[in-house]
Amino acid sequence: MPNAILDPTGTVTSAAKPAAPRAPRLASLEGKRVGLLINTKRNARPFLDEVGRLLEDQYGVTVTKRTKVNFAVPEPEDVIKELVAENDVVITGVGDCGSCSAAAAADGVVLEAAGLPVAAIITDSFVPTADAMAALRGAPGYKYATTAHPVAVLTEDKVKERAAQVLDDVVALLVEPGQAEA
Amino acid sequence: MTAANTDRAAADDVVAAAPDPDEARRAIEYCYSRGWSDGLPLVPVSKPLLEEFLATTDRDPEEIIGSLEQVGKDVNVYLAAINAAMAGCKPEYFPVVLAAFEALLRDRAARGGGFQSTSGPSPLIVVNGPVRQQLGFNTAGGAFGPGFRPNATIPRAIGLLVRNGFGIHPHVLEQATQGLPGRWQVCLAENEEESPWEPLAENGGVTGGASAVTATLTRTMEFVDNRHAPNYEDVLRDFQDTISRVGSQIFPLSSVALVLCPEHAQMFADAGLSKQDVQNWLLERCGRTGAELTRMGKAEVARKSFRGEYEGDEAFHKFLAGPTSIPVVVAGAKNAAISMVVRIFGEWSGTSVAIGEKK
Repeated sequence: MPNAILDPTGTVTSAAKPAAPRAPRLASLEGKRVGLLINTKRNARPFLDEVGRLLEDQYGVTVTKRTKVNFAVPEPEDVIKELVAENDVVITGVGDCGSCSAAAAADGVVLEAAGLPVAAIITDSFVPTADAMAALRGAPGYKYATTAHPVAVLTEDKVKERAAQVLDDVVALLVEPGQAEA
Repeated sequence: MTAANTDRAAADDVVAAAPDPDEARRAIEYCYSRGWSDGLPLVPVSKPLLEEFLATTDRDPEEIIGSLEQVGKDVNVYLAAINAAMAGCKPEYFPVVLAAFEALLRDRAARGGGFQSTSGPSPLIVVNGPVRQQLGFNTAGGAFGPGFRPNATIPRAIGLLVRNGFGIHPHVLEQATQGLPGRWQVCLAENEEESPWEPLAENGGVTGGASAVTATLTRTMEFVDNRHAPNYEDVLRDFQDTISRVGSQIFPLSSVALVLCPEHAQMFADAGLSKQDVQNWLLERCGRTGAELTRMGKAEVARKSFRGEYEGDEAFHKFLAGPTSIPVVVAGAKNAAISMVVRIFGEWSGTSVAIGEKK
């Protein structure tokens, strides 16, 4: 009997949880509390500011803003708890790099499991890494919104244009009409 | 029988005694098919080979030696041994691999998103102490490789551990735009014999000439070929010019490792300079004005801190923060005055890791 060839790969441990649940969607955004989780990447703030402004105008939401502690890694547990306590939904982004796109997906999965609908926004160059991270976190097929890469080089007007373009996708991620209010 | 045929027959006898190449090929292809390879052939690892690696350390195979919280993966001594063996390390290199991995994970950027980054950073690993001779490291010419088994296989082991242990694969969780030449290939053994100064490990807190490893993630590198200037300050200005390049600067502060050839190091030492003197000379002078940075679309660099206030067009913006921003190593042959400026991805931890000895 020859020796077996040994497997050098690790097993998923600590942070990864099997089958993370997705939060129930809201029936409507009217009058809800929207948390913007801004990841500090270039143009992320004006992008999310504009998304927030449009939601205030169209749905009468209340917007609060928060900056990610470290764009490259998921938020710590205490921040997640505060986000859940203070908001009805969270919008995060803009994932436009390797680590920050993965982190946006990871934050989304963790917040969803804690009961909050999330719309993560990443640029379309980073779909594979966001998908891989979501799967690793127990949420294969996790849904998020995309906008064309790059965002960092856009002028102020173009950033606003992009925010307006992605708005319907963001709302669709958070709301399911006919859903009974929890 | 011709002479050539006689030689051929003798060679066939030797080959007949060697292991079965077709079996070796099947084992290598099996490793490829499992997605374990960095692109080059791997050494297929059996339990007896693994045992030889584990026998070189007192550490428990189950001991966790690295965790990447964001990907939810832990790496233990057992996995490190398999990946080191696959990389082509000899069992006796394993304590160096463990020390190198620990040293690298002390780098904040490596624990953060470094391995996933679009920059595609690569470790610079530096080995000091008697282990260099004991294991047959190249401490002389061609320091950046290739050609020497420990120098080539130890950084490859770290790369395989990141790929297989942490599960960070290209195009998936690894998002390098272009990456950089020499990724997972650089392990310098400092040329302590021709260095006029203390070894790097001593700057990292491992004293008494003990065997130790230092590591940090790097962005890119560029050499300074200055072999005709008799005046050391001219040579320092040449370094200043290279370090002050803007291309890789994206934050207000950056770091560079100076890998000096013996000739440059000895020239500075003969002029009475310590490592600290060289560092201080460069710290004061490396940088650009706000206007220069703005003209190159890098106004963000000319700020007091990350996202801080713009310092103004006239202000001279220094790139380097302090002595740990510019570790100095001596490596290579004393045959030409060619040194390397290695751009550090984030920031060196400022510490070195002693290589564990089995009791």
